[in-house]
Parts: sequence; structure tokens; C-alpha cells
Amino acid sequence: MSFANFLDYHHFPVYSIMVLFLGAFLIVLFGKNKFMRNLLAFLAVSISLACIVALVKPVMLDGEIIAYWMGNRAVAGGYAIGIALEVDALSLFFALLISTAVFVSGIYSLQYMEHDNNVPEYYTLFLMLSGGVIGLVLSGDIFNMFIMVEILTFAAVALTAFRNKAHGALEAAFKYLVVGCIGSTCILVGIIMLYAQAHTLNFAQLSAVIPGNMNNATKLAFALLFVGFGTKAFIVPFHPLAADAHGAAPASISVLISGVLTKSGIYGLIRLTYFLFQTMNLGTFQFLLVFIGSVSMFVCVTMALAQHDFKRLLAFHSISQIGYVLAAVGLCTGLGFSAGLYHAMNHTLFKGLLFLCAGAVLHQTGTTNLDELGGLSKKMPWTTGLFLVGAFSISGLPPFNGFASKWMVYQAAYQKASETGNIGFLFVTLIALVTSVLTLASFVKVSQSVFFGRLPAKYENVKEVKGGMIFAMCLFAILCVVTGLFPSAVTKYLTEPAARAVFSVVNYIDAAMGTGYAASAMGENLPVVASFNFNELGYWSPISWLLILCIALLAVTIVAVSGKYDKVSESSEIADSKYDLFFGGEKSVYSQVGGGDLFWGFKHNWRHYFSFMHDLHSGIVNDYSLWAIVALAIVTLFIQIVL
Amino acid sequence: MMTIVLTALQYLGYILIFPGFLFCFVIGMLLCGIDRKIVARMQKRVGPPVLQPFYDFFKLCGKETIIPAAASKTTFLAAPLVGLAALVVLQLFIPIHGFSAFSGMADIIVILYLLLIPAMAAMLGGAASGSPYAGIGLSREMVTIIACELPLVMVLLAVGKVVGGDAVTFSFSKIANYQLANGSLITHASLIPAAIAMLLIIPGETGNHPFDTAEAETEICEGLLAEYSGAPLAVYKLTHCVKVLTLTSFFAALFLGGIGTGIVVVDALILVAICIVLTIVSISFVHAITARLKIEQVFKFYWTIVTGLALISLVLAWYGL
Amino acid sequence: MFKKLIEESTAKSPWLFHINAGSCNGCDIELVSVLTPRYDAERLGFKLTGTPRHADIVVVTGPVTSQSLPRVLRAISQVPEPRCIVTMGSCPQSGNVFRGSYSVAGPLSKYVHVDVDVAGCAPKPEAVIDGLALATQILKEKRAKK
Repeated sequence: MSFANFLDYHHFPVYSIMVLFLGAFLIVLFGKNKFMRNLLAFLAVSISLACIVALVKPVMLDGEIIAYWMGNRAVAGGYAIGIALEVDALSLFFALLISTAVFVSGIYSLQYMEHDNNVPEYYTLFLMLSGGVIGLVLSGDIFNMFIMVEILTFAAVALTAFRNKAHGALEAAFKYLVVGCIGSTCILVGIIMLYAQAHTLNFAQLSAVIPGNMNNATKLAFALLFVGFGTKAFIVPFHPLAADAHGAAPASISVLISGVLTKSGIYGLIRLTYFLFQTMNLGTFQFLLVFIGSVSMFVCVTMALAQHDFKRLLAFHSISQIGYVLAAVGLCTGLGFSAGLYHAMNHTLFKGLLFLCAGAVLHQTGTTNLDELGGLSKKMPWTTGLFLVGAFSISGLPPFNGFASKWMVYQAAYQKASETGNIGFLFVTLIALVTSVLTLASFVKVSQSVFFGRLPAKYENVKEVKGGMIFAMCLFAILCVVTGLFPSAVTKYLTEPAARAVFSVVNYIDAAMGTGYAASAMGENLPVVASFNFNELGYWSPISWLLILCIALLAVTIVAVSGKYDKVSESSEIADSKYDLFFGGEKSVYSQVGGGDLFWGFKHNWRHYFSFMHDLHSGIVNDYSLWAIVALAIVTLFIQIVL
Repeated sequence: MMTIVLTALQYLGYILIFPGFLFCFVIGMLLCGIDRKIVARMQKRVGPPVLQPFYDFFKLCGKETIIPAAASKTTFLAAPLVGLAALVVLQLFIPIHGFSAFSGMADIIVILYLLLIPAMAAMLGGAASGSPYAGIGLSREMVTIIACELPLVMVLLAVGKVVGGDAVTFSFSKIANYQLANGSLITHASLIPAAIAMLLIIPGETGNHPFDTAEAETEICEGLLAEYSGAPLAVYKLTHCVKVLTLTSFFAALFLGGIGTGIVVVDALILVAICIVLTIVSISFVHAITARLKIEQVFKFYWTIVTGLALISLVLAWYGL
Repeated sequence: MFKKLIEESTAKSPWLFHINAGSCNGCDIELVSVLTPRYDAERLGFKLTGTPRHADIVVVTGPVTSQSLPRVLRAISQVPEPRCIVTMGSCPQSGNVFRGSYSVAGPLSKYVHVDVDVAGCAPKPEAVIDGLALATQILKEKRAKK
């Protein structure tokens, strides 16, 4: 085998997973040396990213589906025995955003973790987690998916408890472990039942065999797998775990839990419903996904409004945004699916940015409690600016990326409502729009309570974070702006190929099993390709808008500055009552309106809802396990009834 | 080459003169002046001259700008400018009887979000001042926005459904064309509740009586604007005036399209007349006969009565009545 | 041109900030009555503001008690230039019947430059409007001098 053979892009999926695990192993060996471990970690994440990026052209643009058999053990006798990686545009899309998040988070960790103990262990777990997630999305074999789920779950649990001296870290990890194990067990049992029925573990072959031969066992397997991957995506009712885990983990890990782990859950759900069981043609199943999505969206955003901790607030927002993704994906239209993937990507970017900002605040002040912080914009101008980019993106202010994807979600839901004549989908648009405003509200809350408002005396000496961390945040911020400014390019080159891949299951099966396998195995049951129309209801051209805004802003600024707008009187060092804040004539004292003081009118009108939610989220792991079991029971019944 | 320069100049003219800055500035101020005059007349007062907002604006421009020691200077000064510029750009997208300076760039959902930018700018500016009054004002402003958003969305969806039929639309030009062909949407029975709801939303969005809890001068010292003085304050006052114009002309574009001649100047004058009437109906009358509500009452009012009206419209429109 | 415009506007849009420096509330009520339909000071552009940052004219009522003095001075200092200070009623000018009390620190003119005094206990609304109108002219002059 010549050297050029190694550089064949068909090997790249394996490399991208392998370097991460290899890096984890090497850091255990050589991690005592700081330079060595930083270098190894950096190399691992960047090689992995490079491999994934190199695959964009063949898979996304040329539409090739890479089916890679480990050790060349390909299909024999109609059965796929070997371990397979199968990379279609959907897998690659998720792998791309995951490896981007991993790369940026890795860069951020270099400086963020330098004051912690046990940093080699941190990097080992970090790379295991990353490798697990990328392995999960690239795998073409359902049992390997389970193995990767286990790897990433245990790495994530260990990382959640990494700062185990901090309050609540061990408890959060324990909760995550218990409920995560319930999820993993569901997946394992589901896989066993599928194997008993179909005698194969290859995803493509299962997708060909199962849909035509549904019986009670496969239905139960479906319910188990659905709940299992739902746990990984932290959708309602598994959201309290996310809040605890994000809050306790180091910020660079929160980025991965929020931006990457939840995505792997969503990926699993998509593979299940669109490929393995092909149930998305049923209106009832669309309803299930859209319903769970809408509930997640709304419940978690209201939970976020009530939070007093920066990172917990962000954690609930993660689930809220995942709700958007799930609802959009559940619409089962080309526009909806594309919008969902677009939002998934944007969520990784802006939520990553926000978690890094929270990490920066934690790194410099030692707390993320919204009731204690305030006025940091004067001390940390970079972090503030980058936070605002993230906040505008997530609350969907144009021209940032959150707007473009949310706008597509609204359109998709409204269009679906109009096509099917079902008024229920209309309420998805309504809930999504109201959720968006509530998201804005909670980020106004964060900016008032952390970055603006009054600076407490104890934070007088706070400094801006170091350049490396700012650089990592800037990467995310630039991506947020770019993906927001070129929505048509993003949809055309990234989300639309991925969406098309989902709507052509036959190609996926044939790529692994050989051309014609799907037709022969499925016979008349060949999946009906859902309509892939891309009619948008409105129009939005961010570039021109931004151009006009810039001209307008320039004009205003020129007029204002020539009118001596910036000629202001500022306080010198001497305390002068003129520059005090107005306190009704009293001497200006420290008084910060932030945290729980905000949005009283809203909270008052919703007080019964909030107190109900407060009672419901008891924080007891037994309760959450019970929720998981009840959710499993409901999903099982639902699937038993509708299929 | 010549044509490119001319086109650029034309668009620059759109941005700076009509329907951009100058138009917004003059007409917005005028609307506010008329509003104050009408309220005074309804209260049997003589009232200020119609040009009073102009006097206020120029006076504030000549005042000293004090930056409190606790404020973050850049945000404090930049916020009003961004808000104003965003609002003027928003006005450019609203069609005037078929004439639209920049068509095909933003639809009604985008407009919904663009309306948030000035409010967001004001909130950040207020937060940057460090004043606790601004903190309370910010909280109330946000609650008012949440309150208005739900009915506003429903109104827009109802309009989109009526115009598009089975192929629902968010497109502004489709709405304008539909009204050119079929007459104003307000004559459409199912949209009358939506129009009433929209009239009630206008004072909430602009922060006028009785929904001005966020800038209540007697209880929270002007709230968000508590620490602003001089030119930035003037810009905020101007932004408020432009917002009145924007929302009334938004209403005109949604419900009163199709009234016009096709000559831009005449249509602009008609639009101004419509805006004046709308300002009087939705802002002045409501102002003169009510006292300021509490913030939780504002929220309740919008999420029950106004949302109810909008929902009736939406359901009627959905079932094609 | 703009300078002239701003000067003219300064006289036409005076915003008031009202400070009660221990007043018996008589003057306060009279000040509000100036804004009622009968007298309607708003036709001259007067408007009550809630914060000194927005104000042009500070109206002080009451004999300036020792408790209120630092607060009055602080609030006045927070008014941006050009500003005008108007005392309303006899109390801030002379102390009126409270003169000589241990708790009165007035008159106000001991501490800041007072531009207009409106005498009376309480002054008639006509007198208040007259005084405020005088203050607007002073404001205009101050603006022109700048």
C-alpha cells in the first residue's frame, strides 16, 4: 500500500475518530509535561477537524455516500457482518459542527484549565468525549453507536464531576450517571431486540429489513431506542439533568455537552425515525416530534427565565433551542428539515460562544451567580462585546445567525399548517415566536445582571481574560456572524444536502449493501420520498440590510459627531456629585437591579405556572428516574397504538 | 458608469431623504406634536404648539451631555444611534401604496424582529447607565414587549393567511398587491378584530399612555432614560417619534393598502394623513381617557383582551370566513 | 443657523424638575395647578420631568431644611447646563415663618445662585407662570453666552 493510499479521503472518517482516541491514550502516557499535552490535544482536535472538513467536498457537494468497512470485511452473503462507518451528508453535517465545537473548545481549554489540578486527565476525558461523539455520528453500525454512546456518557459524567470540590458537582454527575444509564440501558435493550428480529446490526441493512416487518418486539425496541436517544438529547422530560450537568462542568465541557452531546441525541432520533423505522410519513409521528419539540422549547425557556445562575440559564436555553430543532425536524418537509439542521448548527455556535463567555466570567470572578455579579462591561469589554453577539444570535436579532434559522422554522411550520390544513402547526409558529422573545428577555436579564448595571466593590480588580480565550470566543463569534449573513449559502451547501440525504433513504441503504439491495429487500415498501419543496414564504437579504444599516448608522453618526454628540462631560477622579447616579437626591449607593428582580409583571401573571414548575423540579434523582420510566411507558403506548 | 452613480445616488436619496431620515424625522415629530395637541384639546387645554417636539429636540441638542461615573461610556453613547438607524432602515421596507424604496429585502416576520432592535438598544443603553431606575425600566420594557409580541404575531399570521389563501405568505409586496387588486384588508370581515388589536398594540409598542410603565416619570424617574441628558436623550426622543410613524405606517400597509393614486408624492401625503388619523385614534384618544396601568395589568390586558381579538381573527381567517 | 435654532428652542421647551425642600405642600399643589386646563403651562412648552438629567429649570419649594439641603444641592448639581434655578414661594427665599428654626438651613441663595424668585405663600399660578417665563428668557441668554 503506497503512501498516497493513506491520503485517500475514504479513510478520513476513521482518522478523524482515531486521532482523538489516540490523543487521549498518548496524553495518559506523556501528559505530565504541560507543553506535550497541550501540543497533543491541539494536534488531535485539529487533525480531526481537518479530516472532517476535507470530506465536505466529496460528500456534501458531490453527494457521495462513503461506506467504509473496517479491515475490508464488506457485505457477504447478503449480511453485513463487518464493522462499518457510513458517512452521508447528514452524518457529515453533524460531524462538521461537532468537530468545530471540539476544536474551539480545545483551544479555549489551553488557558482556561491551566489553574486546575489533574489537567492530563481532563484532556484524556475531553478527547474521549469528542471521539465518542464523532464516532457516534459517523458509525454505520447500531452496536457501535451504542458503544460510542457509552464512551461519551461516561466521559461526560466524569467531566461533570471534574471540579468535584465545587458545590453540587458530584451530585450533578450522579444524577447524570443514573438517568444516563437508564437511557443507555434502553438503547442496549432496544438493540438486542432488533438483533433478535433482524439478525444484523448494520444500520443500512436494518433500515431495509425492519420497516416492512414491524411486530410487537420491534415496536418496543423503537420505543426503547427513542427514549434512550431522547435522554442523550436532554429533551423534556430529561431537561433537569442538563441544567445540573452544564452548571457543574467546566465551561469548555459545557460547550461540548450543550453543543455536541445534545446534537448526538438529535442525530440518533433522526436516524431512528427517518431511517430505521421510517415512520415520519405518519402524521401522528410528526405530531409526536413537533409536540415534544414545542413543549421543550416553551418549558425550558420559562425555566431559564427563573434561573439565578448564568450557566444553568444557558443550560435550559440549550434544551429550548433543541426544541426548535426537534419541532422543525418533525415537520418532515424539506424546508423544515433544512431549518432544523440550520438551527442545530447555529445553536452549537452561539451556545458555544455564550458558554465560553460564562466561563470567562467564572474564570475571572469565581462565580456565575446572577445576583452577585454586575457591571463587568467596564472591566471585561471584549467578553461583553462577544457575549452580546452571542445573545443577539440566540434571541434571533437580525442579522445574526439565530434569526435566519428561526425565521425558516416559522416559515416551515406555517407552511406545513397551511398544506395540511391542521391548525395545530400554526401554534408551533406562535410558540416558537413567543419563545424567541422570552429568550431575548432572559438574555436582557443576563446582560443587566452580569455585564451592565453596577459593579460590586469586590470586583474592582477584575481583569479581562487572556488572549487565547478571547481568540476562541472570537472564532465562534465570527462564525455566528458569517452564518447569519449568508443564509442562502449555508442552506445551499450544508443543510440542503443533509436534508436531501434524509429524504433518500434508499441511497443510504444501497451505498452500504450494494445497489439494488433496498429494492429487493423492501419490495413494495420502498419509502415514499416526502415532498422536498423549498418555497419560502417571505424574503430576507441580510447583506443588503446590513449595508443599508451601515449607511444609515454612518449618516447618523456623522451628523451626531459633527453636532458635538461625543463632546460629553465625564467625571474626573474627584468624586463629584454631578456624576453620581440620580437616587432621588440621596447619595449614590451600590444598588443593582438584576437576577431575580427582573420581569416582575410577567412572573406575577404566571406565578401559578412558575410555582408548579418549581415543585416539579425537585432535584431528587429518584423523581427524575421516575420521569424517565413514565416517559418510556408513554412512548411505548403511543407507538403501540399508532403503528 | 453614469447609471451606477445615479442609482447609488437614488438609493442614498431613499435612505437620507424619502422615505428615510428626513421624512421620518419631520413626519414623526409632526405626529407627536399633533398627538400632544389633540390630547390637550381633549382635556380642554390649549396645548403646546404642534412644533413642540422640534423645539424639544433642538433644545436637548444644545444641552450638556453628562456621563455618570458608573456608566459604560461606549454602550451608553452608541445605543441611541443604533436604535435610531435601525428604525429608519425599518421604515424603508414599509411600502407606500405599491412604492417601496427597497422591495424584496424584508418580510413581515423580519419587520417583527427589526422592531425589537430599537427596544433592545434602549434597554442596553439604560442598563449601561448603571442606574437602578433604568434596571426597573428595562424589566418593564421587556415585559411590555413580551406582552405585545403574542397578539402582534397572531395579527401578522392572520394577514398572511388571508392574503395567501392556501399558499400563506409573509411577503410585504404580496400583501400590497393583494390590496391593490381587492381593496383594503380592513374591509375583510375576518380581519376587523385583528385591526382593532393592532390599534391597541401601537401604543404598547411605542410606549405611550397607558402602557408607558417603562418610562413612568413619576414613579421610576423616566426608567430607562433616567441618566440620559443632552444629545443622546434627543436621539431617544426622536426614536420614539419615528416609532410612532413606523407603527402607524405599518398598520396602513397591512390594513389600509390600496388607497392611493400611484403618484408617489400624493401617496406619501395620503400616508401622512392616514398616519395622523391613526395616531389620533390609537394613541391620543387612548392617552386622554386612561391613567397609567401597572405592569402586570399591561401584561394581562395584552395576553387576554388583545390576544383574544387577534385569535378570533386568526381562527376566522384560517377557516376562510 | 443651528445655533440660533437651538437658542430659540431653549426658550420654547423648558422642562421642569421639582424639588420639595421641606415645603408645606401648598406650593407643590400650586405648581401642579399651573399645568391644569385652566392655566395650562404646557402651551409654553413646560413639562414636568422625573429626573434632574432631563431638566432645564429646577423649581425649589420649601424653606430648605438642614436634612434636605445636601439632597437639594446634589440634585441641582446633576442638572445639565444650561440650567436655571427658580425658588417658588417665600420659604426658599427667606425662610418665611420658619425663619430662625434650628432645622432650617435656608435661604437657598446662600448655597447656589438663584435665577428667579417667585414670592408668595403660596404664589398665585399667574405669578408662577410669569416667573417661569422669565426663567426661560434667562435660559436662552445662558445658552447664547455659551
